[in-house]
Amino acid sequence: MNKFRIDYSYIASLFISIAVALLIGALLILATGHSPGEGYGAMIEGVFGNSRVFGNTVAKSMNLCLTALAMAVAAKAGMFNVGGEGQLYLGGLAATMVGVIMSSASPIIVIPLAIVAGAIVGGAFAWIPAWLRVKFNVSEVITTIMLNSAAIFFCKYLINGPLKSTEKGVLAATENVFAFKLAKLIPASNLTTALFYSAGIALLVWYVMGKTTLGLEMKVTGENPKFSEFVGLKRDKMMIWSMIASGAICGVVGMMEVYGIQGRFTENISNEFYFDGMLLAMIMNYNPFGIIAMSFFFGILKIGAYAMELSTGISGEISQIIFAIIIFLMAAQGGFKQYFGGVFGKLKARDEERRIEMEESLDDMELDGMSSKGGR
Amino acid sequence: MNSESSTETKEIIVQFKNVSMEFPGVLANDDVSLEIRRGEVFALVGENGAGKSTLMNVLYGINKPTAGEVYVKGEKLESFHPSVSIAKGIGMVHQHFMLVPSFTVAQNIVLSKEPRKSGFIYDLAKANEITENLVKEYGLKVNPKDILRETSVGIQQRVEILKTLYRGADVLILDEPTAVLTPSETEELFQVIKRVVREIGMTVIIITHKLYEVMAISDRVGVMRQGKLVGVRNTSDVNERILAEMMVGREVLLDKLERTGKVGDVKISVRDLFVADNRGLPAVNGISLDVREGEVLGIAAIEGNGQSELIEAITGLRHIESGEVFIQGKNATKLSAREIREEGMAHIPEDRISTGVSGPSTIVENIIIGKERRRPFSWKGIHLRKSSIIRYAEDLFKRFDIRGAGISTQVESLSGGNMQKVVVAREFSYDTPVFVIAQPTRGVDIGAMEFIHDKIIEKRNNGAAVLLASADLDEVFRLSDRIVTIYEGKITGHFKAGEISKMDIGYYMTGDRRETGDE
Repeated sequence: MNKFRIDYSYIASLFISIAVALLIGALLILATGHSPGEGYGAMIEGVFGNSRVFGNTVAKSMNLCLTALAMAVAAKAGMFNVGGEGQLYLGGLAATMVGVIMSSASPIIVIPLAIVAGAIVGGAFAWIPAWLRVKFNVSEVITTIMLNSAAIFFCKYLINGPLKSTEKGVLAATENVFAFKLAKLIPASNLTTALFYSAGIALLVWYVMGKTTLGLEMKVTGENPKFSEFVGLKRDKMMIWSMIASGAICGVVGMMEVYGIQGRFTENISNEFYFDGMLLAMIMNYNPFGIIAMSFFFGILKIGAYAMELSTGISGEISQIIFAIIIFLMAAQGGFKQYFGGVFGKLKARDEERRIEMEESLDDMELDGMSSKGGR
Repeated sequence: MNSESSTETKEIIVQFKNVSMEFPGVLANDDVSLEIRRGEVFALVGENGAGKSTLMNVLYGINKPTAGEVYVKGEKLESFHPSVSIAKGIGMVHQHFMLVPSFTVAQNIVLSKEPRKSGFIYDLAKANEITENLVKEYGLKVNPKDILRETSVGIQQRVEILKTLYRGADVLILDEPTAVLTPSETEELFQVIKRVVREIGMTVIIITHKLYEVMAISDRVGVMRQGKLVGVRNTSDVNERILAEMMVGREVLLDKLERTGKVGDVKISVRDLFVADNRGLPAVNGISLDVREGEVLGIAAIEGNGQSELIEAITGLRHIESGEVFIQGKNATKLSAREIREEGMAHIPEDRISTGVSGPSTIVENIIIGKERRRPFSWKGIHLRKSSIIRYAEDLFKRFDIRGAGISTQVESLSGGNMQKVVVAREFSYDTPVFVIAQPTRGVDIGAMEFIHDKIIEKRNNGAAVLLASADLDEVFRLSDRIVTIYEGKITGHFKAGEISKMDIGYYMTGDRRETGDE
């Protein structure tokens, strides 16, 4: 997808892929001896059935949206951040410590401080692999994967060692944080005022990536680092800061998990949230608008599958399969297009030029058309 | 060159019968009928977009024609797929090589037909041996154990050719093979073509738009224009001028460039520069030169003699071992590419695809990048102002005559000539006093070449200092006010325009060997 153009064929492919995936999902439900209607019905029921489940779905979508944007921010500048899970853990831990230490302060001070602490620690932790990549050309994919384990085990060590509490798997003194829990927007659901912070972050990311000079520079750097250096962009800085931004968002997600949903810091503060976000980001080709727009759909799929399993006994893994099929189809879309089109897209475009030459007047009309619908 | 009568009597090896190739909205080949005979060198010429490559892609099985038939050795091609064409002995070397950068030369050559020990174990030693035998047989020198990524484009092209020969091709299609070659490499390639045609009776089809090459190498020539084959001639019956007229449908002459203005202060000064290449070996060995405002200093050198490293060092893209570079009087030796640009230099890099553009980005994005923080393109350097950007890009799009479906076309889908115009449009619109230009018209058609040359001279006439490096001697002679020759990283000669002929300069470009060029 492109800054000055909407890629309609991509959107078409996406919806066809989703339809095909849901169809295959239906067949799988059929194969397990249930009716697809029953399965998908339970899914819808589990998402829209009452305000509580709806709130949970929105909360899940929010989480997906932010983790996916975190992935996209780094990926746009050419950094493949697989380490969001670790950044989320450490960011969450830092945010928790703010609440623990300042247990007598007002929430008006504690909440913003916790957000900032989560962002700083998450970002700082993402800086390590970024710096290694830029300085020594160490693949950030490998370092971020390894740092995930480092972060998660560090948290486990604290929880089971120096900061052990009476309750197993929970960080000591986190009950202090419970007092700062964010207000619920829908009673009994997971949906809290974190929604506003999330929306703010999402809007900011969308704006920076799509509308600013920095976004354009990041995009170019990600697409061709050599060109970026050649044309005089601050390539290394761009790569490092995109990674820091990515880690910071993950850190804030960790904060929201602690302050919004769990009210304490546990060993399982994240259930591979970041990896779901990564998938969404990849499906949407790192387009922030697309991620924001589609996160709700994938939230439905996630929460709905869980509800489906509870009420009908159909395995919730179906949602993972549907996810995987969509990714598979989207990854293969280039190949499908080529196969069905029968020609190379590039050749097509090259010969397109000839047509333009022959039809100068039409060309002018097209140009005018482009400029008027230039902005998205 | 074979005589006319001998080719007449030879059997037809490839035949196109009323082939049309239609892409959505475009007729790329329009009812083309053509016969190619065994053992001839057939040149296919035409401007960019004339349909030459499309036609050859039909023969190679990449394109399935929408109408017409293709016969190879008397048998009709029933299906179109490269594997079918390869099996029939067709080999094609594309303009953009299709090789694996991390493999060795030998591994690339045997790819898809690897020698094996006891059925399934890759026999690397055998692959090297095969490569060495191919080298001996055809005289295309390569080192089997070199990693492809570290070899020059000239070598990579040889690998492509050896690959097709290894697969047993007897019809070899070369798509603009000399666009990436130096004069001496071109000469070597032509020797090889002549040898394979004469000694083993291969048929060679060469796509080009360099007319003197047609005259030098081919037996017959076909001219294409706007998808139609406008004529097939015996090369001995035509000259470059006739071919040029057939190609563009009008009379073309490269007009003499008008030079005005006066030479002024030194803008680029290089002092005793030493630079290493990618492998850490010395590439530039103590070069000093000055470029003044209002002049073009041309570097004439055979590829691989340090001129690329020199350019990269001057533009801040390569580490300088010792010596100094001054841009507009300021010491730029340790500055980054970004800082050097800020000192007032614009740069057209030698490899536009890897360095000069961001392929997946659009034309607008490629044009605006580098200026995006300036007014009026952004608000306080932050918010992009799309309307002014689009207006600016459309203006350049028109002024630089970029042919494409509009400014939101992805640059990677453009032809070489148009891609280069995007680079020129961006770099020339910086209005800097210093330009460093490498291979400005490599792989670019005549029309675009003329245009780019005009733009370069316009900059010179307006007082810019231009350092030009080109593997195309004609280009160096056409544009330069002064010429230096470089051989093995050292300056071997320094001439004013008109002081030396193209013939004689070869002596300086080759150290002490005298060129046997066809100029």
